[in-house]
Amino acid sequence: MSLDADIDLIYQKSLRKRKNMRRLWLAFLLLPPILMLLTFVFLPMASAVLYSVYDWKGLVRGEFIGLGNYYDVLFKPRESWFLFNALKNNVVVFISLMIVQNGLALALALLLARKPTGYRFYQVVIFLPVILSTVIIGFQWKLFLNPIFGLVNKFLRMVDLDMWALPWLGLPETALGSMILVNTWHWVGFPTLVFLAAIHRIPKDLIEAARLDGANEWRIARDIIWPLMAPAVTIIVVLTFIGSFNWFEIPFIMGSLEGSPAYSTDTLGLLFYRTAFGSVSAGGSNFGAGSALAVLIFIFIFTFSIIVTKYLTSREIEMG
Amino acid sequence: MAHIQISNLHKQFGDVKVIRDVNLSIDDNEFVVFVGPSGCGKSTLLRLISGLEDLSAGQIKIDGERIDHLPPSKRGIAMVFQSYALYPHMSVYQNMSYALRVAKESKASIEKKVKQAAEVLQLTELLDRKPKALSGGQRQRVAIGRAIVRDPKLFLFDEPLSNLDAKLRVQMRIELTKLHKKLNATMIYVTHDQVEAMTMADKIVVIRDGVIEQVGAPLELYNHPANQFVAGFIGSPSMNFIEVKVIGKSDASLELALKNKTNIHIPCAEVDLHAIGDKMQIGIRPEKLILDEKGDAGQTGEVFAVERLGNETYIYMHTATNNEIVLHAAGDKPVAEGDHISVGFKVADCHLFASNGEVIK
Repeated sequence: MSLDADIDLIYQKSLRKRKNMRRLWLAFLLLPPILMLLTFVFLPMASAVLYSVYDWKGLVRGEFIGLGNYYDVLFKPRESWFLFNALKNNVVVFISLMIVQNGLALALALLLARKPTGYRFYQVVIFLPVILSTVIIGFQWKLFLNPIFGLVNKFLRMVDLDMWALPWLGLPETALGSMILVNTWHWVGFPTLVFLAAIHRIPKDLIEAARLDGANEWRIARDIIWPLMAPAVTIIVVLTFIGSFNWFEIPFIMGSLEGSPAYSTDTLGLLFYRTAFGSVSAGGSNFGAGSALAVLIFIFIFTFSIIVTKYLTSREIEMG
Repeated sequence: MAHIQISNLHKQFGDVKVIRDVNLSIDDNEFVVFVGPSGCGKSTLLRLISGLEDLSAGQIKIDGERIDHLPPSKRGIAMVFQSYALYPHMSVYQNMSYALRVAKESKASIEKKVKQAAEVLQLTELLDRKPKALSGGQRQRVAIGRAIVRDPKLFLFDEPLSNLDAKLRVQMRIELTKLHKKLNATMIYVTHDQVEAMTMADKIVVIRDGVIEQVGAPLELYNHPANQFVAGFIGSPSMNFIEVKVIGKSDASLELALKNKTNIHIPCAEVDLHAIGDKMQIGIRPEKLILDEKGDAGQTGEVFAVERLGNETYIYMHTATNNEIVLHAAGDKPVAEGDHISVGFKVADCHLFASNGEVIK
């Protein structure tokens, strides 16, 4: 063999070796997340589907009953009332958060984007509650809203608004709204930051060109900034949707597992928990019906998230 | 159209003075080019005129009326940005009509104006396209179209050609000049490219460190630079500078010694202002240096680079007195790196600069 052929062979070998090393390295990096996903996402999902088609006696699996559990939670009068009451509340939460929380976030982002004096400080203040634990915030606001010694009512009485000093978390008319506002206080920093980042991504030239074209602040926000921040809006709408339909901690801590008062703050998450693990109203635990609920909630959130993402993404514009 | 008067203009960002006491008058229908190195304040000056930046002191008047307190949209100014700044989510038509829609003009009038501008700029076929589907040159034309439909008193261009490739840049340069003649409008154009400045301008404003160094017609600046900076900045390749020392004076001339021990006599109107021993610089354009000839004075040296452009050649040499000199020669001049050559020049072709950079007349 000639020298050239020898060198060629060595080169081929080293190339193969490098390629194999690369594959090994990729597998090494990918294995942990894949194992995690399998263990903590796909396995529980599969077992939920499996549990949902069996009859359960406490913790003991009974016989296979097909879609029996699904029929129960969807069509039995009491169970279906609970389901649709909770679903209605989740829808109210979603719409309210879209308007109040994300609307406020957009306004704050537009304000902060203009870099008013001390905007970095405001940015931190607005984002700070996001990093606090939901449990702590729930308890803290439950105390603030206490009808007798709560800060909110004390303040209202101080400014002679006694008639507004209501038991906010005790009335079916005000409980859900109060919790939505607390959720807004807790989370508004997140969409604000995402919107702000999106606004900063818009080239300054475009805003200046619009200003020269005679557009006022409102028209700049409507005609230029809003359409160009579509990708951020998509993310926030989808995250708000998922968050709203998985809403659990705040109603659990500020109300109760029963969605008190009078199920006015009941959500799909609470309903699932009660059904699966048992409660005062639901009685003993029912893994079958609970799993059926979990599967239904998953299908609902998954389907709508995909539809919403597809629709919103189609409206996005690539810059440049 | 518009006559612009800028008086005692200052602009400061914090402690940094970006524009310092600028006074400038721009005539109706004039094509004025602001030119200067990066960071000299030329774009800031344009933005002050447009209203995108607030001035720290001074006045800007258009047709005798102060406009510096007005918001950008009320100044009757249109601007073409370096990035074109086309709205990416709008079609070409919507981009061009946006200002008119904001001004609530009638649909019929908007359509008429946009179609007219599109015709002038050959954009008629592209009106439904989004900016992303356009080439660089087409985007540039849309940006200009967006300015034209507003029928402004004054057009501002902020380095509009710097994102285009070299060939397209030459083409757009000519198109812009034609457009200026067609629209009969006052235009201010910012560039750091002195070729653009020389080829397009009626009047060039050379700016350095926020100060206007010289204002004048392109050839006036080329032939009679007011100082060493302008002399070096205008013209490509730049003017050569050679250090000299005053060794003698007569009634109307200075006797100067070059480092290579040659002496020359240069006419000077203000001989009394200079003393024997003063250091000065003489400036000679590359095309005024003559290869292999002595002229009134000469330099010898070694060639360290040769740039062949086909029709012409630029020869870079280190002189024996450690100066770097560039000279212009014919395209087929047989010369190579490492060659030892001698060049000469005529005193009549020299510019003389004092040590503070000012030209000596």
